[in-house]
Amino acid sequence: MYDIAIVGTGPAGISAAITAKIRNKSIILFGSRTLSDKMRKAHLIENYPGFYHVTGEQLADSLSRHLEQMGIEITEKRVGAVYTFDDRFSLSAGQDIIDAKTVIIAGGIVNGRPIKGEEEFLGRGVSYCATCDGFLYKGKKVAVVGASEDAPAEAEFLSEICSEVLYFPAGEKLPKEAANIKVIKEKPAEIKGSMKADTLITDSGEYKTDCIFVLRDAVSPGTLVPGIELDGPHIKVNLQMETNLPGLFACGDIAGTPYQYIKAAGQGNTAALSAVRYLGKKQ
Amino acid sequence: MVKVIRRNEFEDVKKAGVAVVDFSATWCNPCRMLAPVMEELSDEYAGAVEFYNCDVDENGDLASEYGITSIPAIIIFKEGKATAKTVGFQPKANMKSFIDANK
Ligand SMILES: Cc1cc2nc3c(=O)[nH]c(=O)nc-3n(C[C@H](O)[C@H](O)[C@H](O)COP(=O)(O)OP(=O)(O)OC[C@H]3O[C@@H](n4cnc5c(N)ncnc54)[C@H](O)[C@@H]3O)c2cc1C
Repeated sequence: MYDIAIVGTGPAGISAAITAKIRNKSIILFGSRTLSDKMRKAHLIENYPGFYHVTGEQLADSLSRHLEQMGIEITEKRVGAVYTFDDRFSLSAGQDIIDAKTVIIAGGIVNGRPIKGEEEFLGRGVSYCATCDGFLYKGKKVAVVGASEDAPAEAEFLSEICSEVLYFPAGEKLPKEAANIKVIKEKPAEIKGSMKADTLITDSGEYKTDCIFVLRDAVSPGTLVPGIELDGPHIKVNLQMETNLPGLFACGDIAGTPYQYIKAAGQGNTAALSAVRYLGKKQ
Repeated sequence: MVKVIRRNEFEDVKKAGVAVVDFSATWCNPCRMLAPVMEELSDEYAGAVEFYNCDVDENGDLASEYGITSIPAIIIFKEGKATAKTVGFQPKANMKSFIDANK
């Protein structure tokens, strides 16, 4: 069991990891070795103290070095959900379950708006998780909106269970060819149904299905942490970065505006110190 | 204790004053996470609320009768009638408020 699990490798998560490590806590940091696209893609950064006029690449590289120098490793896995229990948290990442006493959510914000009808029908013919709900559609026809890295693999998994998989790619990568996977290069526009969703409407067609799997890299905070209290699209926090779930903290873009590197890093530092204090009180 | 529904146990659900049925499956991660929460709640509500687990693979007929399209799905039955439903894992405190609000 880790003292602190940190989800996200943008400035918020990295800053939290650095402070937690200095405080001698056992940590696990989930994210990507390239850290954060939002950082890498910035053209020029003028407002990060100590780094005047650097590119996003440069800032990201120096943060990478900082982690290396402190011996902080990045676990390259996506956390699918954080489950809250009385005495601990369990994070599911792929097939693994990792336990931690506290959690810091620093996953940034979700870009891209949901498909019309997606949220309304979530749990009623719309699913975010192929491995969770796939078996409910044994022998049935399903649609996959493939907007995540793993989507092609998940579509292949579904093709072993379902009679037919309609695959709507958002990226370049496609599932391996199979008799019952049909790739349709149209843009999903709306999900319709009555009691439950049964139709996916695209920019040029209409498809009847039993379930529509919408697979994205970034899940909304409410899906990532069941039971979390939100404030609009953000996780609701106080100045200590505490959320409604004791022992779980949030920082950076996911905790609200302004969206800025230094604000994310500052909140990451606060979240880590709050986690350390929480751990101290528990002992 | 959470009782497992195999076949006739659903008759008991219908007879119970208040019953909470957790529709789930062995292969579903959130279901596995929710199981210990329901187990603890069943002890806390012992004598007042009955708790059941219904495997949707083994009880496909019940799953379709109650419109289960995503799991875990938790349905509260009052005097045999389904009166409230919630979907997905929830921390114990939240599940407790859901039960208290609907029991
Ligand atoms: C083009 C551009 C230019 C910008 N320029 C500036 C600027 O000049 N100055 C400034 O202050 N701000 C700027 N910003 C804003 C800044 O990028 C963000 O405010 C900042 O990156 C937020 O940091 P964060 O740590 O909260 O999240 P992010 O940087 O978004 O990082 C989150 C990371 O967590 C990972 N992650 C998310 N969910 C999971 C999960 N479930 N499991 C594992 N990993 C996960 C993501 O993949 C990502 O790598 C700019 C943004 C853009 C897009």
